[in-house]
Amino acid sequence: MPNNRFPKLHILSSSPHTLTFELSETDVSVANTLRRMLIADVPTLAIDLVSVHENTTCLLDEYLSHRLGMIPLRYYDDTANRYGDPSKEFREPRDCTCEDGCPKCWVTFTLGVQFSDKTDNPNTKTVSITSADLKSSNSNVSPASFLSEEEEENAQEEGISLVKLARGQHLYLEARARLGCSKEHAKWCPVAVATYRFIPEITLNTPALSKLTLKQREELVECCPDQILKIDDVTGQIILAEDYEDKATFTEDLHYLQESMKGSPEDDNFITVKQSESRFVFTVESTGCMHPVEITRSAMRRMEEKLIMLKGECAGINEGV
Amino acid sequence: MNAPERTAAFTLDEDNDERKITYLPSPQIPNAGTFTFNKEDHTMGNLIRHQLLRNPNVHFVGYMHPHPLIHRIDMKIQTRDGTTNPGDVLLEAIDDLTTECGQLQEKFDDAMSKFEEEEHGNTGRNM
Repeated sequence: MPNNRFPKLHILSSSPHTLTFELSETDVSVANTLRRMLIADVPTLAIDLVSVHENTTCLLDEYLSHRLGMIPLRYYDDTANRYGDPSKEFREPRDCTCEDGCPKCWVTFTLGVQFSDKTDNPNTKTVSITSADLKSSNSNVSPASFLSEEEEENAQEEGISLVKLARGQHLYLEARARLGCSKEHAKWCPVAVATYRFIPEITLNTPALSKLTLKQREELVECCPDQILKIDDVTGQIILAEDYEDKATFTEDLHYLQESMKGSPEDDNFITVKQSESRFVFTVESTGCMHPVEITRSAMRRMEEKLIMLKGECAGINEGV
Repeated sequence: MNAPERTAAFTLDEDNDERKITYLPSPQIPNAGTFTFNKEDHTMGNLIRHQLLRNPNVHFVGYMHPHPLIHRIDMKIQTRDGTTNPGDVLLEAIDDLTTECGQLQEKFDDAMSKFEEEEHGNTGRNM
């Protein structure tokens, strides 16, 4: 294996909804594949089939079904004690051995609400139906709403709003959720944000910089909005701020300003800013359907599965040739 | 009404005997050919292309995704000489990537347990 790389990974922060980590010593193509896998290839649960029994609300059946589909559903993994990967427990119906639906491939939600169930107050004009009114057939699968009990106590609403009922209206339906991936429909997408950014590499040309006047150096420092540069109090030279890697975003002004300070256009740059080609800071933010750590694990596993499958196919082709 | 199934974007058409990868050697250029990856997109295409470019035996590699509604990629590979053929270098590239991906998962789990340990250590001290 002459062309192997040995990537390094370092977790920067982790919370119930967001994970940031630094991936290094690998290539942009790997980072981008991981990003694309996070967005489009992680299997999750979402409502896919809705049978509406009675609907006298102001919304059409189709409109309601679409709203139901958008609700992130989470699967509580008993073994891991947190909201985990539903593909461990469920199968996609087309891969399932059953003929017409079983608890391994479909989760059924029922919703039956009428106005009088919700309120006794004669002055109330409307009541909201939310995702909290959905009753699941599987106690481990529930609509995602709050990340913590504290958040639930502080929040004004009970869940994700579906429709409002006026006096005398009711809604009875049955919704079935299944495993899918977001290549089929974006409702199965587990992430709200999955991005990576490049770490900046800043090189100071000290001999050239020391020929500038203190005022010019101060101008260079001032023109960076992110305060990535500063003047050393003792020597009066430009030095890098300690956390420039996290702060640097916009360095275009620096480029133009130093062009104007050069004696001739061919002179070396005073300060060069480049993007690192091997270090990436990933941010993965979940929609609430899975813990971001589980999303990342699932994406990496799918990536490996896919490569193993391609390897097998490729070996088959080579033998045939 | 005549829209293709959504799943057709990523599942092989088994009724028409569609294969994941097919290979067509180039009739004009020696040591060259086109691999067609059915139901794949830039996710795998770009990854494999970049890995192949790191191999000094590979003279040329490029891929194209003909149309957003055509779910396949065509990858042309030409090797430097007759000692290696395109199929071998492709297999080697995918094999290297599989190892790397395995590494990545291991590193992620290591980093995660290390991070959790540090977190617990910190809260322990604060309490």
